[in-house]
Parts: sequence; C-alpha cells; structure tokens
Amino acid sequence: MRLEKCWFCSSTVYPGHGIQFVRNDAKIFRFCRSKCHKNFKMKRNPRKVKWTKAYRRLHGKDMTQDTTFEFERKRNRPERYDRNLAENTLKAIKKIDKVRSDRAASHIEKRLKVRKDKERREAQKELEQSIHLVKAPQVLRQDQSLTLPKIKVEVSQPKSEKNQAMEE
Amino acid sequence: MASRLQFENNCEVGVFSKLTNAYCLVAIGGSESFYSTFEAELADVIPVVKTSIAGTRIIGRLCAGNKNGLLVPHTTTDQELQHLRNSLPDQVVVQRIDEKLSALGNCIACNDHVALAHTDLDRETEEIIADVLGVEVFRQTIAGNILVGSYCAFSNRGGLVHPHTSIEDLDELSTLLQVPLVAGTVNRGSEVIGAGITVNDWTAFCGSDTTATELSVIESVFKLREARPSAIVDEMRKSLIDSYV
Repeated sequence: MRLEKCWFCSSTVYPGHGIQFVRNDAKIFRFCRSKCHKNFKMKRNPRKVKWTKAYRRLHGKDMTQDTTFEFERKRNRPERYDRNLAENTLKAIKKIDKVRSDRAASHIEKRLKVRKDKERREAQKELEQSIHLVKAPQVLRQDQSLTLPKIKVEVSQPKSEKNQAMEE
Repeated sequence: MASRLQFENNCEVGVFSKLTNAYCLVAIGGSESFYSTFEAELADVIPVVKTSIAGTRIIGRLCAGNKNGLLVPHTTTDQELQHLRNSLPDQVVVQRIDEKLSALGNCIACNDHVALAHTDLDRETEEIIADVLGVEVFRQTIAGNILVGSYCAFSNRGGLVHPHTSIEDLDELSTLLQVPLVAGTVNRGSEVIGAGITVNDWTAFCGSDTTATELSVIESVFKLREARPSAIVDEMRKSLIDSYV
C-alpha cells in the first residue's frame, strides 16, 4: 500500500482514509480528510492558507532544502530486491528520520532566535535613548523635589471625657 | 512457428500477454493452459512471467516493451513494479511512466529499433520511450487510427498492419520501420491486429479463431519458418555440401 500525500495540506493519506478527485485531464487530487476537500472545492490556494505545509514552506516557517528529503520519493525505476540492501535501508530509515527531525527543530530554533535578538536590540536602544528618565536612588534622596514631599497629617484624637461630670 | 491459443475462451491473446525477444509477460488467469502454452514454447529461451498490471489482466494493452526495456503505466502498483523488476533479466530496464494515457500497449508499437507512438503522447514520455527502449520514435497513425499499438504488430523481421491501410501508407510505414509490412487480419477477419496476435523474432501466438490463410500470411511476413533452427541447418547444409562436392 502506498501512503500518498494530501494535495492540499501535504499530510500522509493512509489507506481507507480521505477521498480522491480525478479531473477530466486525468490529474489526480488526493485529500486526507473532508476539511481539505472542502477547501479545494472552495478553490482556495493552499499557498495562501496558513495551516498547510505549502504555506509554511513558502513563508520560511519550515525547512525546505535538506538532503534528508531526497530519500522519501516516488521512484519509477525500481531496484532489484536484495535482502541485505533492504535490511540496511530499514535500519537507515530510523536514523535518517531522527536526523531530519533534529534538523527541523534546529531550523525553527534558528528562525525564532532572530526575533529574540531583535527584541533585545530594541530594548538596548530604548535604554540608551531614555536613560535620562530614570533617576538613581541617591539623587532621589538628596533632591526632595523629585519625590513627593512628606506631609505630616494631624490625626485628631477624641479627648476622653471620663472626668466630666454628668450634667444633672 | 505460429501457434493458436485462447485465454479463457477469448481469442484476443495480445491483450493478455506481452511477448518480446528477451521476456514474455502473461496475465494471471483461472486456467493454466494459456500460461503453459507459452511455457512450452519459450521456457528454455526467455523467462515467462505471470503478472498483473494495475490489478488487471489486460497487461498486453497496458504495457509496452522490447528486449531493452519495459514501460508500464502510472496505474501500476509498487508491488507489481517490484515483481517485474525481480523477475525480468538485469539488462531489461523497467520504468513506470507518469503519462495521462495509461494504455501504453495501445499507444505504442515497437520492435528493438523503432517505435510508433500515439500522436497525443507527452514530449517527456516520448523521450523516456527513446531512452528506455533504445528506439527511434515516430508519431504516426495507421489507416487513420491513432491507436497504433492496437492496429499493428511488428517484430524486427516483419509486420502486420490494419487491413484498410493504403499502399502509400504501407510504403511510408515500412520505410520508417525498415521492415516489410503486410496489411492483413487475424482471428477470422478481426482488424485489431495488436489484440489478436503477439509476436517476437522467432515465434508468434495468435487467437484460436485465426484461419489457416491468416496463419500462413503471418508466418510468411514474420519469417517464422526460416527462424527455426532446422531451417538454418538446412540452409547451412546446402552450402556445406556444395563446398564438399
């Protein structure tokens, strides 16, 4: 069983899942679920829909060029079966998959790092430009005008009226 | 020698088999007699392989090939492709084509040197045909039919084409192909030559409806009598005896 890719979102279509549409020029469109099929029927371009692989690739969200992508491909010219080769290939699949996921993770990390750097630079700049707004604590203590003056508020306490005689 | 046979009471043997100089493909059927006829004739010379293409038995109409390679349509499954690769000799290239037209046997007619192709095939497909089969490709029609693979059958020694082919067309085709051609029928007057007969350089199989006249035309145009080992010995003997005497 071949695991096809969804035409719209590029996810894997497993046997028994999804639907396929054959246009009258014999082009086959496979969809992984009704969501993708409906989006296709609405004539949406997968490059402009944010949750698709095509959008993420186009906008540099995901890794696009990598040697690990060369392995997963539809091959039209088969190799003769060789038990040792098949065994080694099966072993290699796991390793390659790990390498690919590591690279993808580092790609995203690198992409996010750019923004962090930018934020840090902006903060630095703001600090340099607006440092005069901030006063050191020593200055505040010496120059009373910069802080609120201490105001003593008289609290009127009621006087005790114990010794007052009752008026009778 | 040409033999007459049937595939499950059906005389269109070219539909259910593919014969070339390097291998023979036979459809998987309920009855073994079709396969065993091929086996009896070819087993000690070339591999006879039982296969399906795209899950169907009409393999002769779906694939095209010669001694250099085999082209199968995009509908072929991975398992079938791998089975063909494992069963055929190493020097035969097996290639799946991403072409809109999936009945390659109807669209392509070839021998080991030239091929006739359907007029609507992609340019890319044409290049693959030339590359994989090692042939020169001509886009042609046969008696106005664009399905060249259905309406003709030819080997490196001769060819049979649709009965309505005009003399001029016959001349043009035979200069293109560099083999003698004859317009004729198979299966008691059937004009779909490609479906009724499957042929290589030394043997032919045709439907059991084929008449004796048709059979003699087939044997003479494909030069099947001369191809027998005994015929060669006879020829040799003549010259040998000549030299001795």
